[in-house]
Amino acid sequence: MKRTLSILLASLFVIAGAIVAVGARGGEIPEPPAIGATIEDFTLPDVDNKDHSLKSLAGKNGTVLIFIAVQCPVSNAYNERMEKLAQDYKARGINVVGINSNVAEDAAAVKAHAAAHNLTFTILKDPGNKIADKLGASVTPEAYFLDTNNKLLYHGRIDNARNPAQLETSDLRNALDAALAGKAVEKTEAKAFGCTIKRA
Amino acid sequence: MRFTKAIIPITLCVLLVSLAAPAQKQKGRTAKPTQPTAVVSAIDTDALKGLLTQQRERPLLVNFWATFCDPCRDEFPDLVKINSDYPSQSLEFFTVSLDDVSEINKEVPKFLDAMKAKMPAYLLNVNDPEPAINLVDRKWRGDLPATFLYNEKGEVVYKHIGRVNVAELREAIDKVVKKGSS
Repeated sequence: MKRTLSILLASLFVIAGAIVAVGARGGEIPEPPAIGATIEDFTLPDVDNKDHSLKSLAGKNGTVLIFIAVQCPVSNAYNERMEKLAQDYKARGINVVGINSNVAEDAAAVKAHAAAHNLTFTILKDPGNKIADKLGASVTPEAYFLDTNNKLLYHGRIDNARNPAQLETSDLRNALDAALAGKAVEKTEAKAFGCTIKRA
Repeated sequence: MRFTKAIIPITLCVLLVSLAAPAQKQKGRTAKPTQPTAVVSAIDTDALKGLLTQQRERPLLVNFWATFCDPCRDEFPDLVKINSDYPSQSLEFFTVSLDDVSEINKEVPKFLDAMKAKMPAYLLNVNDPEPAINLVDRKWRGDLPATFLYNEKGEVVYKHIGRVNVAELREAIDKVVKKGSS
C-alpha cells in the first residue's frame, strides 16, 4: 500500500513538472537562425496530408517559405500579394511555399481558405509548430528566403504595409531580385508584423 | 381536482415566461447599435517617441496590442484591473493599438468599451511599423502583445512579449511606484 502511494505521488510530481515546463516554454519563441545559416531539410504534410520535403519543393533558384494563417487579418491582407509573388517568381525559378503552424487551424480549414482566396502555391501544415520553432517564426505573415543550398538570405516581412495602398518597400521582392541578379541582398532582415502564431 | 386547480396557474406562468423570453431576445436584436464611446487617438512614430520620452514624475506602463491578437484580448482585463489599482498619480499607463487605422472608430473603441478600459488609448497610424518597433526596443520583433514598464528616468525596467504574467508585472510595478502613492 505504501509502495503504491509513493509511486502515485512520484507520478503526480512528474506530471506537475511536465505541466510547469510546458507553461514556462509557452511564452518563449525560439530565436530565428542567423542570416547565412543553412536550414536543414524537413518534411511536412500538405493540406491533403501528403508529405513534402523542403528539397522536393525547392525552386531551381531558391525557395520562399511564408508562415501564413487562415484567420489573421494581416496575413489575409497579403493573400493577393503572396499569390502574385508566387506566380511572378515561379517563372524565375523561385518557389513560394506557405506554412500554417496555427494549432487552431486544421488542414481542412487551410485547404478551404486557400481555395476561397485562390492561393495556388503549396501550403504545408506544421503540426506541433516544429518548423515554426526551428525557424523562430513568431507572426503571420513572416517570410524566409533560402538560396539553392538552403542558405538563409532574407528573413522578415513581405513589405512595409498591410494596406497595399501604403506600399513603399517590397523587402522580400528586393531580396529575390538581388539574388536572381547575382547580387548580395542589401536588406537581409526586416521586422515582420502580423498575428502571433498560435502554438500548440 | 385540487391538483388540477394548482397545475393550471403554474402552467400559465411557465407559458407566459417562455413567450416573453423570445420577445426579450428579439428586442435585444433589433436595438439600435450604439456608437463606441472610447476615444482612440492616432499617433505616428514621432508622436510615440514624444509620449515615451517626455519627462515624467512617475513610472510609465505601455501596452502594445491589436484587436486581431487573441493573447492581447485575453490579457486586457488584467491590464484594466492594474489601471484601476494604480491611480494615475502613481503610474502613467497608456495603450497603443497596432490595428489598421480603418478600425480607429470601430473595433478598437468597441473593444475598449467592452473592457471598460479607462487608460489613454492610441493607435499607431504609420505606413511602416518597423521604425516605431525599433524605437521602442530594437530586440522586439513586433509580435503582440508587448508590454513595457519605464521608471521615472525613462529606463525600461520590465518588458514582456506575449501575454503578461500578472503577478510578475505587478511585482515590477510595485518596485518602481513610490510607496504611499498607489
